[in-house]
Amino acid sequence: MWRLTPGQALACREWDGEAVLYNDLSGSTHLLDGAALDLLFALRDEPADAAGLAGRLADRFDAGDDDLVSLIDEMLAALAGLDLIEPC
Amino acid sequence: MLTVGSLSRAELTARLSGDGLVLRTGPFTNRIRSDVPPLIDSVALMYADYPVEPAGGFVDFHLELRRSGGLRRWYRSQVHFAYDGTTPFEPLPLAQAYPMLEWTMNWCVSHRAHGYLIIHAAVLEKHGRAIILPAPPGSGKSTLTAALLGHGWRLLSDEMTLVHLDDGVLVPLPRPVSLKNTSIDIIRAFRPDAVLSRPVEETTKGTIAHLKAPAGSIARAFEPARPACIVFPRWEAGAAIALDPLPKARAFMQVADNCFNYQVLGARGFTALGRLIDASDAYTFRYSSLPEAMALFERLAQGAA
Repeated sequence: MWRLTPGQALACREWDGEAVLYNDLSGSTHLLDGAALDLLFALRDEPADAAGLAGRLADRFDAGDDDLVSLIDEMLAALAGLDLIEPC
Repeated sequence: MLTVGSLSRAELTARLSGDGLVLRTGPFTNRIRSDVPPLIDSVALMYADYPVEPAGGFVDFHLELRRSGGLRRWYRSQVHFAYDGTTPFEPLPLAQAYPMLEWTMNWCVSHRAHGYLIIHAAVLEKHGRAIILPAPPGSGKSTLTAALLGHGWRLLSDEMTLVHLDDGVLVPLPRPVSLKNTSIDIIRAFRPDAVLSRPVEETTKGTIAHLKAPAGSIARAFEPARPACIVFPRWEAGAAIALDPLPKARAFMQVADNCFNYQVLGARGFTALGRLIDASDAYTFRYSSLPEAMALFERLAQGAA
């Protein structure tokens, strides 16, 4: 299960499917795509794992033939690497 | 209004070597003290149109540039910069005193003026539309700026774009435009009317000369401007002119990389930059011909890319 790292306010701006997000904990600014932003907001609502997120967000992702759960797993690992989310 | 140009040479020298010349540049007052003759000549030429404030009032930045004492006074004499009793720079050869003054004035703003988001960028305005030109090294930003100033553009700044944190307006800081190496002769040829300071060789940036800011821009230093475009210029020999839209989120990241104090400001910087990006169209711009660039910028000033 993953949750939003406590202290992240998710201050972000989105233009044309790309977003910039201010990381309250590191002071860094990240360039993210809209899908990553969707995951972060979903985790702000409630902690979830990749399968749960895939179920909730299936209609917003266009994964084609790829496995949506493993795709989301990769994205979660990347977001954890930026200290935006953490396991719980 | 008292200006540097209205002071006699004796008066100017006396102020600089005495209690200080209090020079107003945009929103800032600078108290400058110096006993270095080449610096006095350049200040007289480059700052003739700038207001001089009375001594004894509030001053933002206290700058002191002094000659070496002791033997150094006579052997390879150097100029030393002191700011509020600290010495953040290594001394430089005496002949580099004036470029050093310009660098120290920039240093004061970029290290102290945190009421603004400060972008390392030129900013010019025409027809009420301000265009920001961020400046990765070698972009030809100052050459382009100097050329545009001969085509009716108002100089807000060549070096530092000040974005007011409260309302997002661009606050002018018109100062001399720094030209390096081949740019000096390019601008002499393109703008025979340009007033340049005496070139100083062998600085860390090569040969440096400064272009005097237009009197009209200095007179309008109290008048902020609204951002319209952010243009990342790149001069490239022989290149065909090209203006390409830059997605806004990417423009945000690139402007953040070109800020002096984005990190210092934290979430306030994020908000201010977001508002600036909202208000601006962003482009990358490649050019080799100044006349072509002038024509394209005129179209940007008219609101059409």
